Amino acid sequence: MKNIKYQTSALALLATLAIWTVISCKRDIEDLDPASFPTTAEVFIDGFSAGLNYGAFGGSKVTAFDVDTEVKYKGAASMKFAVPDAGDPQGAYAGGSYFTAVGRNLSGYDALTFWARASKAATLDVVGFGNDFGESTFLVTLEGVPVNTNWQKYIIPIPDPSKLTQERGMFFYSEGPEDGLGYTFWIDELKFEKLGTLAHPRSFILEGQDQVFSAETGQKLDIGGLKATFNLPTGVDQSVKPAPAYFSFSSSNTSVASVSSTGIVSVVDSGTAVITANLGSRPAIGSLTVNSTGQAVGPTTAAPTPTVNADSVISLFSNAYNNVPVDTWNTRWQFSTAEDFDIQIAGDDVKRYRKLNFVGIEFSSKTINASAMTHFHIDLWTPDPTELPAAFKVLLVDFGANGTFGGGDDASHELSFTRPTLVSEQWVSLDIPLSNFAGLVNRAHLAQLVLSGDLPNVYIDNVYFYNAGPVAPTGPTVAAPVPTRNPADVISIFSDTYTNIAGTDFNPNWGQATVVSQVSVAGNNTLRYAGLNYQGTQFANNLDVSGMTHLHLDFWTQNSSNLNIFLISPGPVEKPFSLTVPTSGWASVDIPLANFAPVALDNLIQFKFDGNGDIYLDNLYFYKNGGGGTIPTTAAPTPAFNAANVISVFSDAYTNIAGTDLNPNWGQATQVTQTPVAGNNTLLYTGLNYQGIQLGSNQDLSNMTHLHLDFWTVNSSSLKVFLISTGPVETPFALSVPTNGWASVDIPLSSFAPVNLADVFQFKFEGNGNIYLDNILFYKTGGGTIPTTAAPTPAFNAANVISVFSDAYTNIAGTDLNPNWGQATQVTQVPVAGNNTLLYTGLNYQGIQLGSNQNLSSMTHLHLDFWTANSTALKVFLISPGPAEKSYTLTVPTSGWTSIDIPLTEFTPAVNLADVFQFKFEGDGNIYFDNILFHN
Amino acid sequence: MKWSHSMLMNRFLFTVIFFAFWGCKDEDNAIVDRNYQLVWEDDFAGPAGAAPDPAKWTYDIGTGPGNNGWGNNELQYYTDRPENVALDGAGNLAITARSESYAGRAFTSARLNTKGAFDQAYGRFEARIKMPWGPGIWPAFWMLGSNIDEVYWPQCGEIDIMEYRGQQPNLVHGSLHGPGYSGGAAITKSFGFTNDRFDVDFHVFAVEWAEDYIDYYVDNTLYQRIRPENVPGEWVYDQPFFIILNVAVGGNYVGFPTPQTPFPQTMLVDYVKAYKEVN
Repeated sequence: MKNIKYQTSALALLATLAIWTVISCKRDIEDLDPASFPTTAEVFIDGFSAGLNYGAFGGSKVTAFDVDTEVKYKGAASMKFAVPDAGDPQGAYAGGSYFTAVGRNLSGYDALTFWARASKAATLDVVGFGNDFGESTFLVTLEGVPVNTNWQKYIIPIPDPSKLTQERGMFFYSEGPEDGLGYTFWIDELKFEKLGTLAHPRSFILEGQDQVFSAETGQKLDIGGLKATFNLPTGVDQSVKPAPAYFSFSSSNTSVASVSSTGIVSVVDSGTAVITANLGSRPAIGSLTVNSTGQAVGPTTAAPTPTVNADSVISLFSNAYNNVPVDTWNTRWQFSTAEDFDIQIAGDDVKRYRKLNFVGIEFSSKTINASAMTHFHIDLWTPDPTELPAAFKVLLVDFGANGTFGGGDDASHELSFTRPTLVSEQWVSLDIPLSNFAGLVNRAHLAQLVLSGDLPNVYIDNVYFYNAGPVAPTGPTVAAPVPTRNPADVISIFSDTYTNIAGTDFNPNWGQATVVSQVSVAGNNTLRYAGLNYQGTQFANNLDVSGMTHLHLDFWTQNSSNLNIFLISPGPVEKPFSLTVPTSGWASVDIPLANFAPVALDNLIQFKFDGNGDIYLDNLYFYKNGGGGTIPTTAAPTPAFNAANVISVFSDAYTNIAGTDLNPNWGQATQVTQTPVAGNNTLLYTGLNYQGIQLGSNQDLSNMTHLHLDFWTVNSSSLKVFLISTGPVETPFALSVPTNGWASVDIPLSSFAPVNLADVFQFKFEGNGNIYLDNILFYKTGGGTIPTTAAPTPAFNAANVISVFSDAYTNIAGTDLNPNWGQATQVTQVPVAGNNTLLYTGLNYQGIQLGSNQNLSSMTHLHLDFWTANSTALKVFLISPGPAEKSYTLTVPTSGWTSIDIPLTEFTPAVNLADVFQFKFEGDGNIYFDNILFHN
Repeated sequence: MKWSHSMLMNRFLFTVIFFAFWGCKDEDNAIVDRNYQLVWEDDFAGPAGAAPDPAKWTYDIGTGPGNNGWGNNELQYYTDRPENVALDGAGNLAITARSESYAGRAFTSARLNTKGAFDQAYGRFEARIKMPWGPGIWPAFWMLGSNIDEVYWPQCGEIDIMEYRGQQPNLVHGSLHGPGYSGGAAITKSFGFTNDRFDVDFHVFAVEWAEDYIDYYVDNTLYQRIRPENVPGEWVYDQPFFIILNVAVGGNYVGFPTPQTPFPQTMLVDYVKAYKEVN
């Protein structure tokens, strides 16, 4: 018995088409009105009815159908079907459709009927009508039709005759061998009838069930289980499968879920919608209640990138490693409702499970030998509540030496994780010692991982076994910067520089998974949090830091994607502050204590960190700024720009634009005052929300390159400066606040695009806190687009130098300063104040081919002098054969010549310093270079 | 309705079904206009789930006096529970046959009669009924002689105004059982539709009965007239008869229900009326 698909392609039809066309002598359809379709009822009485064709289904035995004049129910002939034996080379089954080129109007009938018998008792796979070898819109299928050696009448009810106004599919059948053996059946008197004795029509969707489906936006569901049931004249019900086109589907709430004419439900928003259907005027039994939770809630950041050396890892799923084969991430065991999806989060592959009660993950085809491993790692993220007793369970199963389930040598163990290890809506990294899986007495043939618990929605990543023994994740190689605060202004928790408060417990047991240690980094004691989920610090005595202004902290992490620090006072009252991770080297942050309101600063008891990854911490201390004051005690630094190159808005050092209004009424709450600071007039914004400055006249800044500002604030947590041209067209630039003393910033005016620099008329500041401002001015660098002074002459001892391009040293012989790498850059050498200088004009990229490969192992730095008025991006690359290259970003544009000494460690380990042979520059603009050399 | 337990008779009954239509020229079957006066009725008004009027109806409970399926090997256990017999709230009596294990039987249903509450000799007896359906379902509207407890069946006589087999939903049957012509030898005729069924709409089933005839009607069609000279035995129809309504499941007359028989199945009775002929 074979299941046949009816989407037979046109090609398959052509390949197997056996056309039968018989002209009826009883009816002349030429006489009918061309706009109407014939109502011919007869399909096959003693021959083909008018316009009837036959096509065999693809793969069927084409000769299975024939007209039989010997065996017949009535009249002169019947239809004979010779079902082939299994394995018949001419076709595996008998099947085909009888169709007309011109549709018939069958709306006046209620059934297709025929008489049938067979050479032995058998069950026909399917018969029906509506198969037109095209869309078969109104297909009706009757399945499992019993036939025996007696002629019997069969009735296929038409679910809704009004639909069949131009039907072309008159009859189809498909039948395979019975128990491998072919046989013959006959059909006669095949015609449409108006019986009038079909009763009790009922129709069904979803097999008549009222199903409730939890869905989410974007999901599509197919309304299946379509059925139409009629009571036959024998009192027996008969059900057929109608095509969706017989039904009209509707949704109770189309803003939640819509349904197409073919019964495809599209979930469009959160809420509840009930999908129902009618067949004709009668409602179908069954419904689909769609409970949409809307857009799925999932992580927006990738899981922390593993840092364990690949040599120590057997990974099942991670972008960081080569993964071993896994048979399936969802075994779909009985009673498992889990659905799995492969998705990407921030470019990282992640497995998503939904409706997770339990899910089997199987790798039994190639079992895993984790004997040499010490830990199992998995990152998970759930949007579900993690309040107790919600648990997430991890079960590992070893199939034992026989490598198959059972056999008495299997071992397994399940571990359960709850809050506080579990946290909602953030990545939680589980690093589970394999020794915790006590029942997993051997792990040489691991074959299954089973995840279960109370979190129906789980995202997982970085599923791997690893050996944590000899290879620890990498940490910082340099110490955190040494603090320079006056010890009198500091209350230190953890720092080698200061006397720390006594008795602090850096690892109180709060149930955390974090592993806390203190490690020496370049001789400096550093606090290490490995596998952070959360971690507390308990002070010995309650701490009064109300006299302090800031919390300082240095932190370093390569793999954290989330890190918060909390201050805690009794209650507990706690408040987090989010730290930017991962860091590039050590990051230092000075957090105004005002950020931790409403925590009682005079009664601190604890610190807490939460997040993920491996974190190094140092110099955790409170301090007061500038002797505890909230006003600057020193004047802003006096700018040293040539007055000819400056347009000043607010500065004692220059002539300011006349008529500027420092406090235009734009409805702001900010109070504006001018106040002397150490004898220097300074602009003070108190209680900033926003604040404008109306220039005395519109300014053409086309010739200017930078906006300069000095600013000072202890309590602002947000500050932006906007430049505004008429329109208005405005662009913000964020300033780092709070400041540690006066901060000076030189903002390239290109940062304010698309502001029209030829027509600037206003400033605006937005943010909060009290801000002191001074020396608000525009300037241009270098006074022009070419340098007027030579690059400074380097003073390195020639014995310590390998020079590439410098008048001061002997350069490597044979260096090609303009190798043809397809670049657009023009390279010239020009004298600047009598000094030979390398000029790149219209840089896109540019190489330098050294005259010989250089061993720089004894060198420590790359020195460069460079000058540019218009470059907005510039990187220098060092290259060793491979090529292996690494870039270093140079700050542009410059204000005069910039000299830089780049540690060669910036280029390692990518570049082999023992074998360097090329430079490359990338960026834009016109750049002057000089004194390109290595030194130690 | 009591049938001899004979396979031969069953076969005979199943194969000798014929149709009679209004419009035949038999003078004997000509419709006669008679004047009748209503003397008894139940229109089954009342709330859904309520029992029919206990002053008019009593119940036959169980499987019959001989525990033999009321003499016919019927399969149901008759109860008076509302699941099996109740008003439907729309003016109908609902007798419902269910497939459920009950008191050792696989089906339940109900059988009501007016014995002791109402009986009458002669007149018009009619009911408006919508049939259940499905193989093995056997509803009936019929009468027995009130002297059944003295003279026993078939001497008491039995007038089957309507019987119906669920596997032939377009046919009904009217029969007469008496001494010497009972069971498979009853006098019977069938009435049928070619393109309609009795389970999709209500129809009126009636007999008009006098000293020398019993006329069988479906709606306004007289399809059978039985006169004393048509019966091969004694004419026992000159004494009061009482009315019975029931739905049997299975039994000799109808055969077994099949797995395809839809359950539950309900016979809806809009009304039962009895008239006396007046001049």
